[in-house]
Amino acid sequence: MSDVEERLNRLLSLIPYVLKHQGVTLKELSEVFEVPQEKLLKDLHLIFLCGQPDYTPADLIEVDIDEDRVYISMADYFARPLRFTPPELSGLYLACSALIKLSGRPASAELGSAMEKIRRTLGVASVSGDDIEESMQIKPQVTEQNILAELSTALEERKTVEIEYYTYGRDELNRRRVNPLSLEFGLGHWYLRAFDERSGEARVFRVDRIKDLELTAITFQPDIGKESQTTEPFSPSPTGGIEVRLRFSPALAAWAEEQRIFSDTRREGSHLTCTLHTDALAWLERELLKYGTEVEVVSPPELVESLKNTVQELLNRYQ
Amino acid sequence: MNKAERLINLIAMLLEAKNPVTLERIRTSIPGYQQASMPSFKRMFERDKSDLREMGVPIQVEQLDAFGEESGYRIPKEEYYLPEIEFTQEEKVALLLVNRLSSGQVVPLSREAGAALLKLSPDLGDGSRLGHPASLQQWKFSSQSESLEGLSRLWDASVKRRTILFAYRSLGEGETVERKLDPYGLYFDRGAWYVVGYCHLRDQIRSFRVSRIESAVEEACRDAEGPDFERPEDFRLRDHSRVLPWEFEDGAEYEASIRFSPKMAWLVERDLGDVYRFEAAKDGGGVLHVKVRNEDAFMSWLLSYAEDAEVISPAVLREKVKNHLVAILERLGGGPR
Repeated sequence: MSDVEERLNRLLSLIPYVLKHQGVTLKELSEVFEVPQEKLLKDLHLIFLCGQPDYTPADLIEVDIDEDRVYISMADYFARPLRFTPPELSGLYLACSALIKLSGRPASAELGSAMEKIRRTLGVASVSGDDIEESMQIKPQVTEQNILAELSTALEERKTVEIEYYTYGRDELNRRRVNPLSLEFGLGHWYLRAFDERSGEARVFRVDRIKDLELTAITFQPDIGKESQTTEPFSPSPTGGIEVRLRFSPALAAWAEEQRIFSDTRREGSHLTCTLHTDALAWLERELLKYGTEVEVVSPPELVESLKNTVQELLNRYQ
Repeated sequence: MNKAERLINLIAMLLEAKNPVTLERIRTSIPGYQQASMPSFKRMFERDKSDLREMGVPIQVEQLDAFGEESGYRIPKEEYYLPEIEFTQEEKVALLLVNRLSSGQVVPLSREAGAALLKLSPDLGDGSRLGHPASLQQWKFSSQSESLEGLSRLWDASVKRRTILFAYRSLGEGETVERKLDPYGLYFDRGAWYVVGYCHLRDQIRSFRVSRIESAVEEACRDAEGPDFERPEDFRLRDHSRVLPWEFEDGAEYEASIRFSPKMAWLVERDLGDVYRFEAAKDGGGVLHVKVRNEDAFMSWLLSYAEDAEVISPAVLREKVKNHLVAILERLGGGPR
């Protein structure tokens, strides 16, 4: 889409927005239309020059900006936005259907009825729900729907929750109280960012690893100042105290090279030597068991020893 | 003269006109056309008209006299205006959430979805109008590594049944290979998009990870109208969209039963309960009945649960796991005790 087209599309929705919500603030418009206020003011100044022939003051659209409130009149012919193009309608259906699958309960009933209203109002739909089902699948469908729905309530009502959580890095289940700050979908998973009372800082939790959740009666005020960048809840960090070196066989070398957890990878013939830093070893043992005989632990020796013990214990069960 | 201004004036004029407007009247009325000579005005107008039609503005041409010598233009209001839709508060919140998803560009046609939601914005308002100023901001969608452009093209080709060409790099192969594919659909699994379809190179239905497509996606028969192929009647996307690594490959399939500890059983049930039968035990643990074809891939998954998972049956699989563990132990520099 060209810049002009993008701007035109915005203007053709901006005018009806103001006509319907006279006195709307510049701030709201800038948020809804996702443009900075200076750009918005330029848009409004342009609208001011438009109208009907012969473009005398009586024919032009009237735009008033009073303090930071916006009023438009003499533009009844732009009272409604332009209809959807077929790709826009398909895109809307795709996005709605994806959100229903990704979020499960929190939005599905409302989205279903909203889409039904759109379909009824616009007559036929170019893409029906069944078509989408047959051409796009989103897996796995969220099974932790109840947890997500409760978290959504907790976010809205600013309620502290008590969670039973599986910490992958340390391979343990524990209970803790957290203040939910945001829910984020990325890398195929839902993540909860929350203030963790125990550690006294904001942490990220994977929603599918929350076994159980209870809303408490306690409400909290989120401390906006403490917002931090959302990162993987579990990622070996360069600051981790333990340096681990692994050597992958040719069968896994290409795969290992694509993994983001390694701070350094080096080819040695058809083998690949990788380095990573971590604070915990529990997760790594399990990860290494996955690779079986295709990986060799170069260092540290403690990891080799504990891995040996784990494998021996497993073996005892199968003897 | 600003192009956006000219186009807005043109739309406004054609929307309000009681009768179709002649070219001459358009030229003499709208600032921006007035200065142009007739030939250059005609070129300008043709370009503007096609730009506007591309955006979905329904500009119609009508004959003004019986001889078809003079024609005029207009925009029928009923075809231009998006009818007003009354949404409930909850529906508005849900649609604003969809807007957050489309900003994240997770799904094909996200940009188009965003444009549609912009057109709905007068009927939706914003979060603060709904008394949810913060809670919407609290939902975030991060972008995928796949390009939105590529995803949207794949989606388009699937629904329009267009054969496509792209360069693909399989895992473990250093070089990219040109693939010709009849795309049947897209699926999203654990954070990655895949396109499924009939692969001309391998002569079978295959899945391709979209992030490994290293070129632009091109139509194979650009000059043809399409559709280029029919999707087989018995094709079901869901049969291809959740194939677990150990169900892959040739070889006989058999059922195996795995016991999980209370610590992990709930996670396994959440992850695979929709695919396999899970029997919960009283202690909070449980037994999962899985289908196995590729034993190596299966053991890799099994061992990632360490002491929290144990094969109960069949005995042959227990024996395999045992041998595998012995091999790992030897590799670690110690024989079984």
